[in-house]
Amino acid sequence: MNQEIYSKAKMWSCPDQADDDAGGVEDELFAVLGYKVKSSDMAEVAQKIQQLEQVMGSVQQDGGLPQLASDTVHYNPSDLSSWLESMITGLNPIPEFDSSASSDLFLDSSTITSLDNTSSSSSVVNSRAQMVVDSDFGSDLIAIPGKAVYPSNGIGNSNSIHQPPPPPPPKKLKASSDDLHSGFARPVLVDSQENGIRLVHTLMACAEAVQQDNFKLAEALVKNIGFLAVSQAGAMRKVATYFAEALARIIYRLYPANPQDSAFTDMLQMHFYETCPYLKFAHFTANQAILEAFAGKSRVHVIDFSMKQGMQWPALLQALALRPGGPPSFRLTGIGPPSHDNTDHLQEVGWKLAQLAETINVEFEYRGFVANSLADLDASMFDIREGETVAVNSIFELHQLLARPGAIEKVLQLVKGLKPEILTVVEQEANHNGNVFLDRFSESLHYYSTLFDSLESCGGGDGLVSDHDKVMSEVYLGRQICNVVACEGVDRVERHESLGQWRSRLGMAGFEAVHLGSNAYKQASMLLALFAGGDGYRVEENNGCLMLGWHTRPLIATSAWKLK
Amino acid sequence: MALANVFEKRANKFCINDNMDVLIEILKRLDDRSLGVAACVCRLWCGLTRNDSLWEHLCFRHLSPPQEGVRTVVLALGGYRRLYMVCVKPVLSRLRVGGAAAELERRVWTRHEVELSLSLFCVDYYERVLIGGGGGGRLGGDSAAPPSSLMFLCKAVNV
Repeated sequence: MNQEIYSKAKMWSCPDQADDDAGGVEDELFAVLGYKVKSSDMAEVAQKIQQLEQVMGSVQQDGGLPQLASDTVHYNPSDLSSWLESMITGLNPIPEFDSSASSDLFLDSSTITSLDNTSSSSSVVNSRAQMVVDSDFGSDLIAIPGKAVYPSNGIGNSNSIHQPPPPPPPKKLKASSDDLHSGFARPVLVDSQENGIRLVHTLMACAEAVQQDNFKLAEALVKNIGFLAVSQAGAMRKVATYFAEALARIIYRLYPANPQDSAFTDMLQMHFYETCPYLKFAHFTANQAILEAFAGKSRVHVIDFSMKQGMQWPALLQALALRPGGPPSFRLTGIGPPSHDNTDHLQEVGWKLAQLAETINVEFEYRGFVANSLADLDASMFDIREGETVAVNSIFELHQLLARPGAIEKVLQLVKGLKPEILTVVEQEANHNGNVFLDRFSESLHYYSTLFDSLESCGGGDGLVSDHDKVMSEVYLGRQICNVVACEGVDRVERHESLGQWRSRLGMAGFEAVHLGSNAYKQASMLLALFAGGDGYRVEENNGCLMLGWHTRPLIATSAWKLK
Repeated sequence: MALANVFEKRANKFCINDNMDVLIEILKRLDDRSLGVAACVCRLWCGLTRNDSLWEHLCFRHLSPPQEGVRTVVLALGGYRRLYMVCVKPVLSRLRVGGAAAELERRVWTRHEVELSLSLFCVDYYERVLIGGGGGGRLGGDSAAPPSSLMFLCKAVNV
């Protein structure tokens, strides 16, 4: 029974966005479920609700009264009394209703033809509400369409209730306006912002259930999130979907395999690079710090922990080529994960950069190292030469080391051993590494919501940043979300920590901060001003470090360090 | 009588195409849109307007003094005309909100704007020639066009 109802719910929950011919604004909440109810008719629906409540109050459950079929189909979408009633009274989030309530009055307004309904059908049977749900959040979480009213012929006809499912109703049914009744004053207000709030509450509640190992509850809630997410638009829906997926993975124990395919991740990051300014900001600010550290030096060596496609280095090479006094001789060592197709990806990137360097007349040398983790590196590999100025660069790499104990300390000692002139670090500005699951969940929910919001503005209204890029960026972020929420132990590599935490970590390891300076700030501000939606991005200076954020929320932070 | 006057005028007519140096001096002072229009006049003008030094002048005429070595780099990365189209114009117009074309000309570049444009130009070169053309970078065979992170410069800012 439940399955049938559930499947009907699925069948009907495809919103048809076309407006009614009368041109009224449709209520979004109903539209999600496939009903078209104009906002102007809401008052009537509300009246019915109140009536229903009265009727329900006075009814008695007994087998004698005819029960309306639980397996019924709505022909008249305005007859949402049972559904609305459940929403309001906050019953079972899982569609387990046995019957819908009705009375003569409602059926009068129905467009069902064989309306045989008579007095006796003013029975109401309470649904079986059995979910252990806290009433504060459990209310209104229901998305249970698929209740319809069969005209009930007989009395005591509980057996003949199973009529064959009628064909789905035409989508555009007008709510009938000839409904009566005594003026109950208060209309029910349902708006999508409320839904958004419900969505967040449900997400939090589900996470809490998971933390408490209450998987039955979590499962029910996760299904609700799906429904509620559909009712939202844009960023919120996408974020909610990703988080729901991550929660579902925990609940159903389908933990994501650690992404081995680095080529795919690189490709995703490329799309992310193109869609929004975060990576560009990271590259430009880090480059500025490195450029300033290399002032006056004639032989320089950059060690890049995050080589990927090498997108950071063309700009630095060009800046070095044009610096007063001419370019230094430039050496680049790139570190990357092993590739899974037989190409030597690192070498290819190095070769391309070498071509570029030759074009602009910069003496260039390149070496690539493959390593599964930065902690596997050894100082002797780098072959630091006499008289060379070293810079170490890490963009979104250090936080991954926090998954294994001792790794970050080892790497920082390694870096110290290289005696760099400067260490540039760019990391996400968030604490997603707390011990308490719920805290991690809520932090990351806020963080990625903000990030997705900014993505929405990046996407081309005029379609020049392709939708493909945008979608791939979302997938890129979605994988991070999945990792933060659903993975544990060494698999959870997205262990973001805030700037304050990195400051103390690096301070303890023997580094002190280098202020990034006004050049970096100006360049970053200009860069952001160039982006559409540029007014949403904010560059902030925080004690010598630069942070890029969306509106009031900082999202990534660039910092520079040198040995004490 | 009137006809004789016309003939007389024609005999003394100064033909601009015979005086290329004057023509170039004039073209040097035009803005980008006018150069585009001028390119449509005839083949000679079309060839002249494609001359990179004109565009170099357009990019940097208000920057004093022009940096050493910039020209080599810019030419290597694709030339001034491309620099102007891809980077300079969007940067200038985006950063001077509400500036008319004439105002664009009158304002002087700041050093930062120059640096930023050049950096972006270099990134553009890298993507276009090396990653797009190389075929190794754009994985999955997504699109035929090389990636361009500078596409964001083409969009109008919703001011």
